[in-house]
Amino acid sequence: MTTLVAIKGGKDGLRMHLNEAAGWSEVLGALRSQLDQGAQFFNGARVIIDIGNRSLTEEQLAELMTLMREHHLEASALASTSRESRSAARAAGVVARPVTRSVTAPESPDNALFVWRTVRSGQIVRHHGDVTIVGDVNAGAEVVAGGCVVVWGRLRGTVHAGALGNRTAIICAIELRPTQLRIADLIARAPDGAAAGHPEVAYIDGDQIAVESWERYRRSNRSDL
Amino acid sequence: MSRVITITSGKGGVGKTTSTANLGTALAIQGLKVAVVDADIGLRNLDVVMGLENRIVYDLVDVVEGRCRLRQALIKDKHFPDLCLLPAAQTRDKDAVTADDMIALTNQLRAEFDYVLIDSPAGIEAGFRNAIAGADEVLIVTTPEVAAVRDADRIIGLVEAFEKGHPRLIINRLKPRMVNRGEMMSIDDVLQILAIDLIGVVPDDEQIVTSTNRGEVAVLDRSSRAGRAFAEIARRLAGEDVPITVFDDNPGLLNRIFGAFGIRARGSER
Repeated sequence: MTTLVAIKGGKDGLRMHLNEAAGWSEVLGALRSQLDQGAQFFNGARVIIDIGNRSLTEEQLAELMTLMREHHLEASALASTSRESRSAARAAGVVARPVTRSVTAPESPDNALFVWRTVRSGQIVRHHGDVTIVGDVNAGAEVVAGGCVVVWGRLRGTVHAGALGNRTAIICAIELRPTQLRIADLIARAPDGAAAGHPEVAYIDGDQIAVESWERYRRSNRSDL
Repeated sequence: MSRVITITSGKGGVGKTTSTANLGTALAIQGLKVAVVDADIGLRNLDVVMGLENRIVYDLVDVVEGRCRLRQALIKDKHFPDLCLLPAAQTRDKDAVTADDMIALTNQLRAEFDYVLIDSPAGIEAGFRNAIAGADEVLIVTTPEVAAVRDADRIIGLVEAFEKGHPRLIINRLKPRMVNRGEMMSIDDVLQILAIDLIGVVPDDEQIVTSTNRGEVAVLDRSSRAGRAFAEIARRLAGEDVPITVFDDNPGLLNRIFGAFGIRARGSER
């Protein structure tokens, strides 16, 4: 099956590849469901739209812009080999550039982000892959990741792992006392009370987020850990 | 070499203005030339706390807009001729000055004073940004309350983003007895969250209310516990190595030295 929509992180930020051959309404439908799933991840993000050699009319582009606006996604540029699409983009006030085929986003899934500091109230760490934080995530701070989140410190803020819909993502912290945990489309509020006093893991078990000690998790779930 | 230090907090009502007035006065007692600047344009208070309200002719905005010279707007303190106040405008708002204006102003003040202390408005908007624009260092004031600490954390992130170095922390209005009963965040609790250097702890002191209302700063009153704490902070600011003491509300009974907990103020060796 061909991929209709692929959203990838690259050097210049998020890049949204829209299949150039499939029907436009089909592509928009796929994009809509992808955006619905990752609503939190995309909130306020800026992306480059890459439509390949597709020719877009102004109406089609307007549809796309409306869909993106609904999901609080901002188009930073439109990349296309099609002159017609580029002029439609300019008419809609979007920067247009000819697509550069040689510089496609790296495919490798091992694009992890390493943060070595305290993430403070009001700060957001947003990354499409896995995120490791050496330091605390304070209350009022947010970490949003497409993959797993590991906090080598105290986690008191809000973390969203698997924000693009990956339900197998996990969240680990030395001290897991979050304001709120989110994995994929599920949300859990932290239980009241003191921290456990040992490292813990949050993961999706059935249809809810479960939290247990790292020791028990590694023994019960994974023989290879 | 003169130093420009901004006192800020994020949350309102935690004691920025009181801290500015007391630290400015305490530095002046040490014989230093000090200017205190009220950057809370539109909501000026520093003049009231220092008892200089009735001497204001020109203000900070008048200087920035060229209606008077800096010298004309500076008000001499009642007790220390080397302590001056640059008051905020009351009839204007934060938009009346820009960050560049503040940088130019602080550079002018550097020429005449050893210390320039800037009293920041609450919040994270333009007023705060202007207040830290010309600063070399930043002091964060917080009270041991969850909301205040949360806002302090936010402000520390912003101060670091503006590359103003590592801010230092004043914990204000600590009530040691409530801490001992486990009803208030302790110094350790606050430091664990904020993870920055502590420069002093000011105990809760009812006398502060009466002294600020009278326009007499607490450091001038030898019996004031808060005043003694501010005097110590001023000595640490000036580079002295003074262990942090917490003056309890029951003098003589508990005068705990927190050095034993590994919390020491940064300062050069005496």
